[in-house]
Amino acid sequence: MSLETSRTGVGTSSREDTRPPAGRPRPPRLAAWLRDAAAQAIPAVIGLALGFAAWEAWIEIKDVKPYLVPAPSSVVDRLYQDPWFFTLEGLKTLEGALLGFLLGAAVAILLASLMSQARFLERSIFPLAILIKVTPIVAIAPLLTIWFGFGLMPKVFIAALIVFFPIMVNALIGFRSVNPNSLALLESLSASRFEVFWRLRLPSSLPYLFAAFRFSVPLSVIGAVVAEWFSGDRGLGSVIYIANYNLDMQTAFAGVFMLAILGVALFLLTAEAERRVLFWHESNWAD
Amino acid sequence: MSNDAHIVIEGVDMVYEGGERPLRALTGIDITVGRGEFVSIIGPSGCGKTTLLRVVGGLQEPTAGRVLIDGRPPRQAQRDKQIGFVFQDPSLLPWRSVIENVRLPLQVNRRESSGSKDPEGLIDLVGLREFGRYYPHQLSGGMQQRVALARSFVTSPSVLLMDEPFGALDEITRSAMRFELMRVWRSDVAPDCTVVFVTHSIAEAVLLSDRVIVMSTQPGCVAATLDIDLPRPRGEATEETQQFVDYTRRLRGLLREHALV
Repeated sequence: MSLETSRTGVGTSSREDTRPPAGRPRPPRLAAWLRDAAAQAIPAVIGLALGFAAWEAWIEIKDVKPYLVPAPSSVVDRLYQDPWFFTLEGLKTLEGALLGFLLGAAVAILLASLMSQARFLERSIFPLAILIKVTPIVAIAPLLTIWFGFGLMPKVFIAALIVFFPIMVNALIGFRSVNPNSLALLESLSASRFEVFWRLRLPSSLPYLFAAFRFSVPLSVIGAVVAEWFSGDRGLGSVIYIANYNLDMQTAFAGVFMLAILGVALFLLTAEAERRVLFWHESNWAD
Repeated sequence: MSNDAHIVIEGVDMVYEGGERPLRALTGIDITVGRGEFVSIIGPSGCGKTTLLRVVGGLQEPTAGRVLIDGRPPRQAQRDKQIGFVFQDPSLLPWRSVIENVRLPLQVNRRESSGSKDPEGLIDLVGLREFGRYYPHQLSGGMQQRVALARSFVTSPSVLLMDEPFGALDEITRSAMRFELMRVWRSDVAPDCTVVFVTHSIAEAVLLSDRVIVMSTQPGCVAATLDIDLPRPRGEATEETQQFVDYTRRLRGLLREHALV
């Protein structure tokens, strides 16, 4: 009797064990997450530290003047003196970049969805998109300041312009990259065009969209900085511009450091969002 | 099985323009399938089996001729969700769990189909009761095809079109899936469901069908027909009977005679 029970017990548990857990993958436990993060961060930190050490040593040995290139330690000092100043200016830049990204992505996805419906629309919209793409943003930035004045609007607009094209192209490829049998299945059920788009084309495009987001999110920061350069309102772009003008290299480089931190943070956030949304896609399967 | 005609295929031609010269994929196809009948179509690659299935399902318009399902064009049957499709790949939506995949046909095209089935019950019927919350990538190929089978029955279709549904599976899983299909088809989930089944396998065609249609190629046309008069329900024992062996031999002979190029 007891033998029987134990055997069943063993049988059931081993069967359970061979199965993967059902449903969406749960976020890993904190300890495991920290271990993974450390494993990825430590080599990066070592690489950065070596780079900064070489930079610092070069300044020391060659006695480079601080108004040409500042030592990294003096840049960090500058950040320490005024942490809130740099944070607030960073948030100003971030505001313009993110709003611009959202605007650019929304327009890009909307136009791509229209183009995916008819070749005629593609032929009429695509040339316009290419025109926007080939126009140098730097050339029209001063114009935008004249049109929209100083402040948030030119930033949002330039960031939107810069992210628009890559997102639109990827969205269009994504909307077209559907499993033909899944499409046939929906057609055999008399699904409307909208249903095919909503239930098949849009989810199928997500891997392509996230690939575009990965590099267009940092691009939107570049767009915002370029705008600040010209419309000298606030934000890290104008901080760097003014510091350059005054040969205040510590402040200029402190601004650049902040931008780098901002870019890395945004990139990591996008990657994490991708991991969660695309849990079903082969790019996210554990090997 | 009653004798009234459920699917009528009349003089269907299919010509693809646009190449160097027009390609005749199908020519003069006349087939009538009775209600609740299981018909297999067998033939070499490129004989237009898949094209014929797509025409019957209303996914493609024939160049000439017509298809009627219950006296109406296939598009109308589509609208009433009377057509179920199973393809060689399971073509599940990877972002939907098993239960959400089975529910998909009920969600699109809001028109009520008469007698839609409970997705939970269907998953249970194909032996995946505990896997409703799993995602396709967490399942084996055979399990995924079971989900596709459950999905095809959820609207309670009167016509089930299957395009080499077990062709990508290993031999052991294939064999199990054949009996699985017959079990579901004969259950009260699909009363009087007519099946058109495209296959490459002689044994599969004989085991499953009431009638096997042999197609020959270039252009695709009906070369021969073989009625399979084996008693149902058919099981593993059926495959060992002399009758079964005789049928496979005759079908192989027909294929050799008509369909080998």
